[in-house]
Amino acid sequence: MKKLLLIAVAAAALMTPRIVSAHHGWGGYLDAEFEISGTVTTPVSLAGPHATMSIKGTDGHEWLLTLAPPPRTSAAGLKDGMLAVGTKVTAHGHRSRDNNRYEVKTERVTVDGGKTYNVYPDRT
Amino acid sequence: MQASALGHFMRDSGPWTYAIVNLAHVLGISTLFGSILVLDLRLVGVGRRVPLAALSSAVVPVAATGFVIAATTGVGLLATKATEYVGNPFLLVKFPAIALGLINAAAVRFTGAWRAHQLRDLTPAEERRLAVLGGVSLLCWLTAITAGRMIAYW
Repeated sequence: MKKLLLIAVAAAALMTPRIVSAHHGWGGYLDAEFEISGTVTTPVSLAGPHATMSIKGTDGHEWLLTLAPPPRTSAAGLKDGMLAVGTKVTAHGHRSRDNNRYEVKTERVTVDGGKTYNVYPDRT
Repeated sequence: MQASALGHFMRDSGPWTYAIVNLAHVLGISTLFGSILVLDLRLVGVGRRVPLAALSSAVVPVAATGFVIAATTGVGLLATKATEYVGNPFLLVKFPAIALGLINAAAVRFTGAWRAHQLRDLTPAEERRLAVLGGVSLLCWLTAITAGRMIAYW
């Protein structure tokens, strides 16, 4: 019967994916700093484990900006529904390690000619 | 599901809502798994000096409470952005594992051995039957928890 336990543990271990495209933490993003400018297509959402927004990049791609967790994003001044569609912004952070995934784990968002929202002020 | 009142509540009731519901989900899971682990291990044969009847009467209500908390908060977490989870392969492992775990729990309840265990000592054959079901239970909940945690990393 101890075998059953062993099987259970082995099954759990096998299901752990080799490459984890991290939703949490920074492991799934490149170390290099990254910047992309564009216009807002989806305003800030504070729903879920991380706040998000999206922009149409000057490179033509739709970029998902993964922000800090909702309380922290809100504390940085980015409230739910903020930044009207069409607002020109620049996002600074780290892009996904997956080249086909247009996602930036965003440290700060700067509105052109306006405010900078630093959602991770302890990171440069 | 995302458009439901629950989905709206999860998204529109402040930045801490998700975190708090998430916390309750984790507490529900740990309550369920912590208690069922002790019972399943006993069924498999660990800690035989503890009488099964006493253990099961203490543990089963705790496990059931944990399951209800985990399940209700889980629906809330899913409803927050249900469309984002479409196509997440770990959900397709997690939900069948939960369903199997529940079917297994029902199967335990309906075995003669389980119904008899509060009244008399079990025969070795009955103990073996419960041991298999206890092992399946462990496998189901471990799989459900593992797949559940991996949802966030897809």
